[in-house]
This record gives sequence, C-alpha cells and structure tokens, in this order.
Amino acid sequence: MKTDKLQQAGNSSVETESKKTKTTVPGPGSKRTVGNIKAADPVMSATDVNVYYGDKQAIRNISLEIGKNEVVAMIGPSGCGKSTFLRCFNRMNDTIEICRVEGDIRLDNEDIYGKDMDVVLLRARVGMVFQKPNPFPKSIYENVAYGPRIHGLTANRTELDEVVQTSLEKAGLWEEVKDRLDQPGTGLSGGQQQRLCIARAIAVSPDVILMDEPCSALDPIATARIEDLIDELRKNYAIAIVTHSMQQAARVSQRTAYFHMGELIEVGATEQVFTNPRTKLTEDYITGRFG
Amino acid sequence: MTDQNTSVGSTLTVQRVRSGLARRYRLERWFRRFGMMAVALGLSFVLVLFASIGSNGISAFHQGYVRLDITLDEKTLDPAGSRDPEVIGKASYRTLVRDTLFDQFPEVTSRSDKRELTGLLSNGADFMVRDQVMENPGLVGTTHSFWVPVDDEIDMLMKGYIDRNVPEADRRVSDRMIGWVDQLEKGGYLESRFNTLFFTNGDSRDAELAGVRGALAGSMLTLVVTLLLSFPIGVATAVYLEEMAPKNRITDFIEVNINNLAAVPSIVFGLLGLAVFINFFGMPRSAPLVGGLVLTLMTLPTIIIASRAALKAVPPSIRQAALAVGASPLQTITHHVLPLALPGMLTGTIIGMAQALGETAPLLMIGMIAFIVDVPQTVTDPSTVLPVQIFLWADAPERAFVEKTSAAIMVLLGFLALMNIVAVLLRKRFETRW
Repeated sequence: MKTDKLQQAGNSSVETESKKTKTTVPGPGSKRTVGNIKAADPVMSATDVNVYYGDKQAIRNISLEIGKNEVVAMIGPSGCGKSTFLRCFNRMNDTIEICRVEGDIRLDNEDIYGKDMDVVLLRARVGMVFQKPNPFPKSIYENVAYGPRIHGLTANRTELDEVVQTSLEKAGLWEEVKDRLDQPGTGLSGGQQQRLCIARAIAVSPDVILMDEPCSALDPIATARIEDLIDELRKNYAIAIVTHSMQQAARVSQRTAYFHMGELIEVGATEQVFTNPRTKLTEDYITGRFG
Repeated sequence: MTDQNTSVGSTLTVQRVRSGLARRYRLERWFRRFGMMAVALGLSFVLVLFASIGSNGISAFHQGYVRLDITLDEKTLDPAGSRDPEVIGKASYRTLVRDTLFDQFPEVTSRSDKRELTGLLSNGADFMVRDQVMENPGLVGTTHSFWVPVDDEIDMLMKGYIDRNVPEADRRVSDRMIGWVDQLEKGGYLESRFNTLFFTNGDSRDAELAGVRGALAGSMLTLVVTLLLSFPIGVATAVYLEEMAPKNRITDFIEVNINNLAAVPSIVFGLLGLAVFINFFGMPRSAPLVGGLVLTLMTLPTIIIASRAALKAVPPSIRQAALAVGASPLQTITHHVLPLALPGMLTGTIIGMAQALGETAPLLMIGMIAFIVDVPQTVTDPSTVLPVQIFLWADAPERAFVEKTSAAIMVLLGFLALMNIVAVLLRKRFETRW
C-alpha cells in the first residue's frame, strides 16, 4: 500500500512538471505551484517560506496570500505541512525549539519575523483556533475576558462586559451561556467549547483568524454551526482554515490551497479547484484516490 | 482473508482462548491475593509500631505530683511588707519546701536521711513554688497547698515501672522511700496529673521536668526557614528549567545533577552546611537558620523534580491557547500553567517537608544535637529539633526517659499529620479541574 502511494506521488509529480509549463505562475513562489497565490485584498502575505524541523524540511518555498473578507482553506494529506504553514502566520512555531522558519511573511506589509515586530502584538492581531477545543480551566466569562484584559483593551468593567457579550454573540454562543457566565468553560459541550475558543480569539479584535482543523473533534451538528459561524466571521476578518474535510473546504472557503509533501501544489478559487483541478495530484486527492 | 478461512480460524481461536482462560483467571486471583497480603502486612507493621509507641509513651502524659501545704511566712518572704516582686523572688523557697516536707515526717532527723527525703521531690519544686508566689503575691502570709512534681524515679514507682519485689540493692528506690511514698499516698498527698510540663518546658536533665517545647519550637523555626527558602527556589528552578531554559548541554548537565542530588546521603549536606554556613559565613552553631539552610539544600531536589513533573503534566494546549491570544511567556506561566501545576508542586513540597521534619543526621553536623534548655525565640537562638530530641532521650540512662522518648515520637507524628492536613487542604483549595 505504502509503495503504491509513493509511486503514485512520484508519477503525478512528473505530470505536474509537464503541466506547469502550460500554466504560467504569477509572482514568486514555488515553481511547482499552479494557480494564483494572490488575494484580492491581501492582509497577510507569505513569500518563499521554508520551514525546517531540525534537518528535515517541512515546507518548501511556499507563497500564499490571505485576503480580507475571504476564507482560505488549506487542504492536503496528513503530514503535508499545512498546519505548520498556518502556524507561521502567528509565529506559533517559535514555541517549537527545533523549528526554523525562513522566508518573508508580512502582515499589512510589516515583516512579522522582523526585528520591529513584537510577537505578543502579532498574536493579538492574528488570532488562532486549535484542533481540540482548549478553553482555560476558568469561567466562561474569564475565558473571553482574558485577552482584552492582558492587552488592556478595555478601560473598565462595563466595557469588558460589553466586549465579552459581543464576542460571545459573534461566536453564536451568547444565548446558550448568558445565564451561566461564571461557570467553568470546560463544562461546556465540545462544540460550545470550540465556539468559546472562537469568541476568545475574536475578543481581542484581530485582523486575521487562523483555524487549525477546528471541527475535527466535533460532531456534524456542531460542525455545521461552526461552519455557519466561519461564514459570518468572514465579513469582518481574514480567515485561513486548515481542514481534512474537503466538503468543509468546499462549503466555507472562497479560495482553496492544496498542499502535498511540504509543497503548495495548487491554489485557486474553491469552485475551480474542486470542479476543475489543474493538477493530477489535486485531482487524485479530491476524488479520494489517496490521502 | 476468505470467509472459509475466517470460520476455521475462529473455531480454532475459540478453542485456544478457552483452554487458556482458566490459567489467566488463576493468575489474576493469585495476584489479587498477593496484593491483599502485602497491604495486610504493611498495615500490621504500622499497627504494631503505633501500638508500641502508644503503650510506651502514653504514661508520659501524666506525672506524679505531691501536695505541700506551705506556710508562706511574711517575715521570711517579705520582711518589709512591700510585696516587691524582687524581694519576694529572692527568698529561699528551697528551705520553705524542704521544711514543709520535713514537718510531714518528724521522725526523719539525721542529715543523710533528710537528704534522702528531699529526693522525693523534683529539683524544680522550689522554682515552681516561687513562680506561683511571684504570680500571685497575695499568697504571702497564708498557708497554701502547692502541687509540685515528684522526682522521676518516684514517678516511675507510682506508674508501676519499678518492681517492689526486686532486692533493694537492685532498684533505684530504697525501701525507706517506698515507705514514705506509701505514707504520702495514704494521706492523699500524691496525685497523678496531666503533665503540662511536657508541653511547656524545654529539655532538662531531670526527666520529670523535661519537655518537648524547645524541640517543637526548634523544629517549627527550622521548617519555616526551609519552607520559605525551598518552595520559591524550587518552583522558580522548575519553571525556568521546564518552561524557559533552552535545551542544551548545560541544562542537561544541570538536570542530571539535580537528579543526583536527590540521592546524596543527607549527612553530606550536614558537612556542607558546617563547612559553608558555619565555618565560611560564620553563622551561629545549633541555630534553626543554619538547620533550615541545610534542609533546604536537602529538600530542593525533591521539590524541583516534583514541580517539573507537575509542569509537564499541564496540557500543552493550555499554553498554546494562552500564547495564541497574545499572552507573554511569563503571563502564560503565571496565569495558566502555575495554577494548574500548583497542586502537584504542593505534593512535592509536602514530601520534602516531611523528609526535612524527620531528618537528624545533617543537623548533628551543625550542632543541633547540643543540650539546650531554653525555648528558642528566633532563628538564630541555639535549639534542637524533635527527631534529635528523640535521639537524645533514647540515649539517656534514666528509666523515665523511655516514656518521654515515645511521647516525643507521638508529638513528632502528630506534628507531621497536622502539617500534611494543612497541605492537603491547601492543595484542595488550589485544585482546578479541567
């Protein structure tokens, strides 16, 4: 089975090479990337990003933009580097000691790996939602209020209450928890916890929200709610989402990026990627031939 | 993989599993029995230990007292009638106490007999009478009944530890003394009372006056120093090594050393304390301060190792969550990681402190084995600690110190239990569930 897969991957990469000559790749980036990496109104842009774990290279020359009011979905088989790439945008990779990031990533034209960029400030502007819901073992209120409080975003308790309420409202959780804000956030159901984490992320009013497989631990009903929420959040934020579910990518995103073995293979409008993939690798993956 | 294969395989599987089932269950039963036996054995040892300590030590909590009806003559105590405490305090209570006793036994006349008769009383009797009079000067000029402790040998006789059938030459109490004791007892002058002196006095050469207060205070002061130093240093070290330090050769080296330190014999720490704190820094000998420093060195590895384990047990998702909303590394630690790790850290601290409380060897090296009568007030006063006190009393030749030793062990165990209860309650308070 394994050898099959490898062979297939090898074969298809040859094909991609040949296809590449047909499609022109605009701008910088991996020579292999097919499609337009540009966003209409870019908030963050990554150029020629390489990531290494020790000696192992996890990301090869990837360039991609995340635009305002759009959802970029990152899909690909396990271990293809999509989560690693996502975590470059808020420098969460800094916490992994052996991880090294090269290349240029900009937030509003500011180099986030530059000397002038403070990582605390960056993370206040680029929020993140994780695969497993990870609320703090504190009250629902404290969970949402934590970000604004440490950043000193509110002047007094009334303002803070307001921020907590609007964040929970935006996350679609307010109606369910408004009477028990003082109860532990860990006592909520999985789906509610994940929405609480989203509320926590938007409470600091970031520009970008990164989501790393936010629904993989949730049942279909909770997943549907989160997907509706993502669609709603798109109006105010730039969103990048990593997902294993192609249906989800098709449902929530405007653009889709397909990753394979540390490389960005194809980017394009979601509809185009799913209905008319331009590379064999993408086609194989979305039709379920591997991955 | 075909259906045929599966059915053949499954009958075979059923057969083989069934044939081995009896053996598996038998093993499990054996293991269960073995476990229960181990628990029963452990419990019985603990029970035997407690029973032996209890039966030996319980009699130390009461003490024989003799009633002396002393006439506090104003002419001898306070000739000027000023009721000045200084004047009252200077009078010879020794004579007063003795004369009262001699009056009770008029037949005793010779010097040597009188000396033997005074041997009934504790050496501290006159001081106790004096203290009571000083406290209440109104007693001067009246006749008042004082209860003073009897000598430790007499106390042993009253408690039945001295066999009257043994030939006189082989026992510490002469026939004549036994006669006096019986006479006093008949007259209602002897009484067994709760031994408050055991809890209010420091050490003494006279068993009936010896108490654990000094050692208890010494232990508390030493442990306070130990806790104040080892908990913050231990937690800070663990947090730095676990959360902040880069993983390189230096930190690896430090880690190996900390783990090794946990296994160093405690007397070595005592030698270190002697060389560094006393000889080099010139700190006072026998002081709880130095004892606390030495015990800090000894408990640090325990606390560091337990704290690191507690930090490791905090799920990384909590750290990521905090970092992702923009908390600085220190905020992540103080707001989220530490509160979750605190119960585990407290557990390590309890173990370390319990170890420190029971430690004797390193404290011998820094002079805490000295005979100290005064109750220490500050961390630089000379003092001893409970386990050392137990060691000293166990070594004492007098019969009365046997029960004192056991009683001191009971106090030590009680102190330990109290400390653990406080720690468990604290841990309960800090425990957050997630």
